[in-house]
Parts: sequence; C-alpha cells; structure tokens
Amino acid sequence: MGTDEVESTYFRRTSRWKLIIILLILALIVTIIVSLNVGYAQIPFPNILAILTKQIPLLNSFVDSSLVLPRHELIILQLRLPRIIAGVVVGAALASSGVVYQGVFKNPMADSYLLGVSSGAAVGASLSMLFGVGFSVFGLGLVQVAAFVGGVSTMFLVYNIARVGSKVPVTMLLLCGLAVNFFMYSIVALLEVIAGESLHSIVIWLMGGFSNVLWTQIWAVLPFITIGMVVAYFYVRDLNLLALGEETAQNLGVNVEKVKTRLLVFASMVAAAAVSLCGLIGFVGLMVPHITRLVIGPDHRILFPASIITGAIYLVICDAVARVIMTPFASSAELPVGIITMLAGAPFFIILLKRKKQSYSL
Amino acid sequence: MLNLVLLNVDGVECRYGSIKVLENISLSVKEGDFVGILGPNGSGKTTLLKSISRTLKPYRGTILLNEADIYTLKGIEVARQMAVVPQDTSIGFSFAALDVVLMGRNPHMTRFQMEGEKDLAIARKAMQLTNTWRLAERPINELSGGEKQRVIIARALAQEPKILLLDEPMTHLDIINQLEIMDLVKNLCVKEKLIILAVFHDLNLAARYCTSAILLKNGAIFAAGGLDEVLTSENIKNVFRVNAIVKKHLVTNSLFVLPLSPQKSSPAKKCSIHLICGAGTGTALMKVLLDEGYSVTAGVLNVLDTDFETAQFLKIPVTTEAPFSPITEKTHNANLAMISKASTVVLTSVPFGFGNLQNLEAALAAVDMGIPTFAIEEVPIERRDFTQGKAQALLAELKNKGAVFVKNQNELLSLLNVSVEKLKIAKEERDRILDHLKPEETPKKTKFRGKW
Repeated sequence: MGTDEVESTYFRRTSRWKLIIILLILALIVTIIVSLNVGYAQIPFPNILAILTKQIPLLNSFVDSSLVLPRHELIILQLRLPRIIAGVVVGAALASSGVVYQGVFKNPMADSYLLGVSSGAAVGASLSMLFGVGFSVFGLGLVQVAAFVGGVSTMFLVYNIARVGSKVPVTMLLLCGLAVNFFMYSIVALLEVIAGESLHSIVIWLMGGFSNVLWTQIWAVLPFITIGMVVAYFYVRDLNLLALGEETAQNLGVNVEKVKTRLLVFASMVAAAAVSLCGLIGFVGLMVPHITRLVIGPDHRILFPASIITGAIYLVICDAVARVIMTPFASSAELPVGIITMLAGAPFFIILLKRKKQSYSL
Repeated sequence: MLNLVLLNVDGVECRYGSIKVLENISLSVKEGDFVGILGPNGSGKTTLLKSISRTLKPYRGTILLNEADIYTLKGIEVARQMAVVPQDTSIGFSFAALDVVLMGRNPHMTRFQMEGEKDLAIARKAMQLTNTWRLAERPINELSGGEKQRVIIARALAQEPKILLLDEPMTHLDIINQLEIMDLVKNLCVKEKLIILAVFHDLNLAARYCTSAILLKNGAIFAAGGLDEVLTSENIKNVFRVNAIVKKHLVTNSLFVLPLSPQKSSPAKKCSIHLICGAGTGTALMKVLLDEGYSVTAGVLNVLDTDFETAQFLKIPVTTEAPFSPITEKTHNANLAMISKASTVVLTSVPFGFGNLQNLEAALAAVDMGIPTFAIEEVPIERRDFTQGKAQALLAELKNKGAVFVKNQNELLSLLNVSVEKLKIAKEERDRILDHLKPEETPKKTKFRGKW
C-alpha cells in the first residue's frame, strides 16, 4: 500500500461524502414522486408532476392546466403528499435520534425509544384516547399533544433517575430507561384492559401509521424536529470522539457531560415529536443507522446526514407498501406501517450483516 | 535550573464518594522530565493520573498547568497541551486507524473544520513514529492488542502535547514493542522537551527510562525523587511487601530490580550451616537454606565475588579475603573459627586454584572437628581442578574421612531436612536414630554428633 495512496484516498473522502449526500437526496425525491403514484386512485406521472410544479412559484406558469384535475389535485396535495411528507419527517427524525443514541451509548441495541420516549408517548396517547376524545389544543388533536408531552417528560424522568451527582453514566441510563419503559408499557396494558371501545384506536396507534395525517400536524412537529437535528449535527464530531470512550473524549477536549446531555435531550425531543405524529413505528431508529453504517462507515459527520435521508426514504417506501399491499384483499384497507418496517427491514438487515460480518463491530 | 516549571500538583486529595484514595499529593514537574508513578495495585496511581488529566476533580488541592488551574481552564485548552494514553481503550464502531489518529487533532480544530493537509501530515508523522502507518486504512478493531495500543499512542502524539500521560501503556505490548515505544517516548522527552508522566507496573522499565519517580502507598507519596532514592530494596519491601535485589546493571547502566519470591515462613531451625563456596556456586544455596530456616555463614570469599555480594545482600556473616588475593593464613584461621561454631559444613562444587585451595583444607578440618560435612559434586573435580591434581587429592581425602558426597542441591536439602527432622527426636533417642540413618541414605562413615 503506497503512502501517497492512503493520503489521496483520504482527501477524496470529502468529495465522496458530498456525492453520497447528493445521490441520497436524488433517491429521496424519486421515492417521493413514485410513491405519490401509489394508491387506490390511478393518477399518471405527468399529472402528478404537473400538480407539483403548479405549487412552485415562477415555474407554475409553464404548467399545462389540462393535466391538473381538481379531484387529482385534492388527492395528491391533501391526502398523499401530507402522509408522504410525514413519512419523510418521521423517518428522518427516528433515524437521526437512533444515530445519536447509538453513538452516545456505544451500544448496538440503542434506539430512539431507549429513554422511555415511546412508552411515555404511548401512555399519553392512550390516556387521551380514553378520556379526552374530541378535545383539541391549538388546533391539534389532544392525542398528538399528549403523546409528545408524555414522551418528553418520561425522558426527563429517566434522565433524572439515572443521574449520579453531576454525571449521568450511560449504563445507569440504559437500565433506568429499560425499567421505566416496562413500567410505562404495563400502564398502557392496564389502560388497554379497561379501554372498551377505545381499544381498537389504541392498538392501531401503538402499531404506528400515517393515515389521516394533516398538514397542521406536520407543521406542528417540524420545528421540534428541525431544531433537534440541527443541535445534534452541531456535535457530530464529538460523537466520533465519544466512540473512543468518555474519558478519552474528555481528554481530547470534549465536554462530555454537557454534550451527552444535550444530544440525548434533543434526540429524545426529535423522537417524541415523531412519535406524536404517527404513533410507534419500530425498527427505523434502530436499524437505519446500522444499515447506513454498514454501507458508508462509522464517521458521524457523514453517517448522521446520510442516516437521516436513508430513514426518510425507507419510511416513505414502507408507507407506500403499507398502502397497497392489502388492495388485492380489501380495496380500502391498509396495514399499519410499523408492521412493514419490521417485516421488510429485519431480513434485509440480517443479509447485510452476514455479508459484512468480519469488519462490523460495535 | 532555568527550566520553566510546567506542571504543579499541590496538596491534592481525591475521593470516590466518601472514600479517600489520594492524600496530600504534591509534585512539581518541568519540561524534559520523565516521571514514573510507581506503586502496588490500588495505591492510587491511575487516580492521580486522572486528576492531572482533568478527569477527576480533586476534593482538595490544585493542579496548575503553567500556573493556571486546569479545572478552571476549558477542556479543549488543556487538550491542546496534554495527551493521555489510557490503560485500555475499547473503541465503539470500526473506525480506520488513521481516523482514530486524526481524532487527536480535535483540540486544534474548530467545530466544523475538516482535517486539512497539515493535520494529515501530523497524523502521518505520528503513525510513522509508532510504526503504524502501514495500518492506516485497517479498521481499528481488527488490529492486534499491540498494534491498537500503538495507534492509540499515535493518536496522543497527533495532539502535539507538551505533557504526555501514560497509564501502564505497555500492558498489551511484547518486549520489543515495549522497548521501541519507550525509546520513542524517551526521545520525545529529551528532544521535544515533553513532560512524561507514566504509571508503571514493571519497575525495571521504569528504572530504565524515568529520570525520577514517585512511589505511592495507600494513596500517599511514600518516596519521591531520583530513581536512586526511590527504587531501593527497603522502599520496595515496604511498599510492595517483596524482597528485591536492586543494582545498577552492567550493560544498561540503569537500575534493575530483581524481586525475590516472598519470604517463606519456615520455622527457624536450631542449625547453622557454613558454606564453603565461591564464584557464584553458593548463591542459590544461600537463599534456599535461609528460606528453609537454617542460619547460614560462609567463607572464605573474596570481596566482590558473586557469592560475597549475595551474602552481603542476604546479610550472611562471611569470612572475607581482599579481592583477587589468595587466602592468607590469618583469614584461613578466622574461617576455621567460624566453622567450629557451625553444626554442618557444605562444600559447593567451586573450582579450585592455588588461591582458594585452603578452603578445601578448611573442609578437611571441619571433618576432623567432627562436624558433619557435605560436598556437592555437580561438576566433576577433574574439570574444576586448576592446581595440578592437588585439589583432587584433597577431595579424595575428604571422601575417605567420611564427608557425604551429593550430586546436587536437592539431594543435599533432602538429606539435611531428614537429618533435622530425625534429630528432633534424636535428643532422646540418639542411638536408634543413628542406626536408622546409616543404611542406604548415607554412606557408612557418617557421624552425627556434637552440635545438632
């Protein structure tokens, strides 16, 4: 191996990273457009493109209006596009928080729900479905607000239980998260037992899905998710250093406790916002970071953005499948997307893992 | 000295919870110093390193880096001047070795800066120094323990530190790797005027590379200063509870420490043995006999003889002769006086020249005095007689007079032990025991009497 070879490979890396991001963004755009085509009503691609272009200022004068049917416009813009954008937002959110959790915990089992976000949100959502039907807060459904509040407050609860003095050891966090998760899920189970008529909606919510997502709901979570991701991206190099161990990271100038707290709080906020939008969607936060890491390597400076886009693509595809897979059996029924993410993702992940087994270690 | 004092540890006390692990530690280190931190397990070595590396804030006391308290400085400011090589690094994720080394550049970069050519050149130099450049693209978790540790050291060097803290950095390395890395570190210390603070378990490695040392015991400084003052037999016995020989090595000219196995607590036997030895033939035996509980004397030995030095170390009384001189009548008589007080005499298979032929006569005298005498014959007398047959003749005479000839040290010991064991009873039943001993184990003319 020539010395210069190593150096030139190294300097090519930055352009390789840029290429990866550009390709992933292109893939995401293609995925979105293709999945706009998926659904019960048949809407051809030219029509879809025309409807989309019409929404963009300056370009809208070039659109052939004959292609834009009001009925199609309604389906695309008010039914399909919101749930696809919700898929993008949620997939990105869960994947980003998954990367952060795995980085901070140096643990392959860590995912976005680790600190009780999911179970807390489930308790909030179940309670509101049982007792608060019809209420709304700032035009949002009570379920969404309750889920977000439940998720974030449970995370703070876990964080405070795990705190030892001024430090928060990761093992304590893991174990406290585990314990609180079990506690919260047993409350959910309790609520399910007494739920009666609301049982169905609770179960569906727990499996996660995007049916009937409204634009307002998306706008409501977007600031939380965007801010959380920006804050997390601020610390991507610190995540690399944390891989060397907390003490070494400290010795390399990382303010470990501060960085850890900020990363976990903001990543949990991102995850809670995502959960409040679509219920519990499993696997994305756990597996998308792993899959991305297997393909492009462990450097968080590329892993973080790449996982975000991959998560978005993955969830949009899964949602498209969820929408159509039941069509042969019952024309209007659809599966909760959480089932698809796991059914499709787990085998794919195992295949990838087997092929790259030697060099993949956590 | 005009040297700038760079690191000052002043009255540091560290606690884990309410348990005090370090107490009143003060030291002052200047550039170019290579300080070894020594002590047994649990004496607080790693804790001291942690408090200096801004990882464990002391309960009391201050650590000053160029007169600034490191705990009021920002972590990144300290990281620009101080690098740490930990005991053991487990790295999450398979970063390439080069990536890990480049992480050492973190303190010198702004948040969103990418590593540039300068950083890469520094990382490359660090990896070439530690002989890891060829591993640059390999995933760190696929490297062997030694390779990984070298990469970690390269990472520390890439930090371009003024102070390098090493916490038992050699644990994973084999001998050649240890020496290469320590040579490298020493070189940096001398040429780049780095401060090196290193925790060592291997006292010899410490002795070879450090300029000074501190010895910790139960969280406090037991000894500090130059190696000669710190690494002494007494200090080692006090702190590590182990007897050790400490000497300057002839080849490396650095101190070396030879720990002896912890003293056996054999009950003292009321039996003194006089050794007639020389040229190192008695060295091992002295230690063994002492361990077995015998009291030991030796002579005549020339001063500077190996056996003499061992006897000095083990505090064995010796009749001595001047270096490289034949045994004079006066010393010979002194030796005979010493022999007359012994209950047994042992003659090792020492080579005989005209200088020490009289020692053989001393053995004969012992037999004549009626003292049980053993002769070890590991090397046949023909090969160690440099007196044209005189020694051979004397040895034959010794055999005739009834000295017991044994093949080696083990045989001697079993005979001695049997004898002592039996002789406990002998006080009451002397005759019966003598009969019992005679047949196979001991040649016929053995006489046990007198001073048991």
